Amino acid sequence: MNSKVRIALTKGRIESKAVELLDRIGYDTSELKNKGRRLILSIPNEDIEVVLAKAADVITYVEHGVCDIGVVGKDTIMEHGGKFFEVLDLGFGRCKFALAGKKGGSFYDGYGVKTVATKYPAVTRAFFESKGMDVDIVKIEGSVELAPLVGLSDGIVDIVETGTTLKENGLDVFEDVAPISARLIVNTVSMKLKQERVSEIVRLIKENCDDKNN
Amino acid sequence: MKRYDLLTPEGTRDLLFEECAAKRAVTEGLTDLFESYGYSEVMTPGLEFFDVFNGKVRYFPQETMYKLVDGKNRLMVLRPDNTMPIARLAATRLRGEQLPLKLFYNQSIFVVNPKNSGRDDEFTQSGIEILGGKSGAADIEALSLAAKALAVCDEDYRLEIGDNGFFRELIPQLGADEELAESIREFIETKNYPALGEIMSGYDSKAAAAIGKLPELFGGAEVFAEAEKYMFTDSLRERLRELKALYDSICGICPADRIRVDLGLVHKKNYYTGILFRGYVQGYGRPVLSGGRYDKLLGDFGREAAAIGFAVNVEAAAKVLYARGVGVPAPDVLVHGEQGAETAALKHCGELISEGLTVYHSLFECPKCAAEYAKAHNIRRIDIVSADGSVKSEEVRQ
Repeated sequence: MNSKVRIALTKGRIESKAVELLDRIGYDTSELKNKGRRLILSIPNEDIEVVLAKAADVITYVEHGVCDIGVVGKDTIMEHGGKFFEVLDLGFGRCKFALAGKKGGSFYDGYGVKTVATKYPAVTRAFFESKGMDVDIVKIEGSVELAPLVGLSDGIVDIVETGTTLKENGLDVFEDVAPISARLIVNTVSMKLKQERVSEIVRLIKENCDDKNN
Repeated sequence: MKRYDLLTPEGTRDLLFEECAAKRAVTEGLTDLFESYGYSEVMTPGLEFFDVFNGKVRYFPQETMYKLVDGKNRLMVLRPDNTMPIARLAATRLRGEQLPLKLFYNQSIFVVNPKNSGRDDEFTQSGIEILGGKSGAADIEALSLAAKALAVCDEDYRLEIGDNGFFRELIPQLGADEELAESIREFIETKNYPALGEIMSGYDSKAAAAIGKLPELFGGAEVFAEAEKYMFTDSLRERLRELKALYDSICGICPADRIRVDLGLVHKKNYYTGILFRGYVQGYGRPVLSGGRYDKLLGDFGREAAAIGFAVNVEAAAKVLYARGVGVPAPDVLVHGEQGAETAALKHCGELISEGLTVYHSLFECPKCAAEYAKAHNIRRIDIVSADGSVKSEEVRQ
């Protein structure tokens, strides 16, 4: 039986912020900083193992209980859903989901059913369902900004950080959909079976994350 | 057109040998337990009318049910739950039976899961239902059986109890509309402290403080003292006292460190009306047991009665057992009849079985092939039966 606590980090920007956070707690993160191609890393002198995964996989690993704790963006949580505890807003990776389209245009004009391009169909569907509005959703894998420009869609729902990409392509935010930031998630069984250790780690992370408003 | 003749549908699978043994060990362990406490077995059909699960209150979203139509074009479902058919049974064929009724079952349910989620769409549940009876005593009985059922799967289990009555009593005092109340419930269930805190910071009341605290109130006996501070009405305090009394009774029967409390158990789409409980074991990322008190459900079917019950996810428990390794015992003896000794060989099999041994009757052409089979399958003795009825026993060197 694995009595270690396994933490899954979303690779990339969230990972580096999370490693800074682990540093502040006082964990030895040398392995994490010199990871090479390894995917499972340990924190010396602690019963903690860190795994690196793509955002959606962090949720999958935590949901199935093979990882106890995960660090993942709210965007992925909103798109994928799942059963786990979402205990902390870590405060980093802040951005938002927004509805955008051609500058000067108006998304809601006219009777016609609108077409929305997005990498996040579930988020988009939930957003328009809450407005009681029928829309056609087209799933796009790459740069969503292209879709309204070439006439595939009336608008896009996408992650907006600074808005520079939108601006450079003549697009504008019509409406904010939801704020996003990195979250700490915990498997529902780990929280109970390893309560002491997991609570301790959650407390340390809470005390050391940027956002003191939690 | 693509043919699917070599696959099982997603979410289902064939179980082989050791997997079957693991599953059977769980169901047999649980059946023995339930029977030893005088429970009676029931079986309900795998096919039910959609209406059974689509009554006044809809506990199951229709997109999670497998549906089909019968010969009269009526909508049917593959049984998505075991408790509701038993409530139907209690209100119909068992109508004349005096309460309390103690029933148990071992049968599959079917759930449509999101694709590629790695979850079972078909899985067996073993569980009990106590219909009627003295509530307090029934709660203790159900919980102590739940603890014993978990011990069948894993000695190092946790049984967690809660009561969704705290939430149901607190939420009207907040004056939140249905939509907001649902968001709050969801944030409590997912222990989403930041989102819950943000909503509650907009209120300045004892009810809001208590609701904001609910998801943090989990752990051992210390939880009750902490919860006490937030219970500001007599009925809330009474509810907490009752839960504490129940917790103490269970701790008197089972090892206390196995029993936990979580006042943040407020799960949706269930018919539970009070005490709720869940069971966890090492090696499985979701609860293996869940149950609770449902005092309104039988009334939905026309027979008012309080009830409590729980179900064990047998597949989950079997997976845990399988991962630890379960042995399937090899037969004791391989019996091979030579040409013309087929009847004598089978007769010899019968004799060995009556002596308490297990046998494998060889259908191989030659004794050599039979010997190879025995060796490969850990059978330690071969009996060769000759046409004259004589038997020659050989040890198999492993």
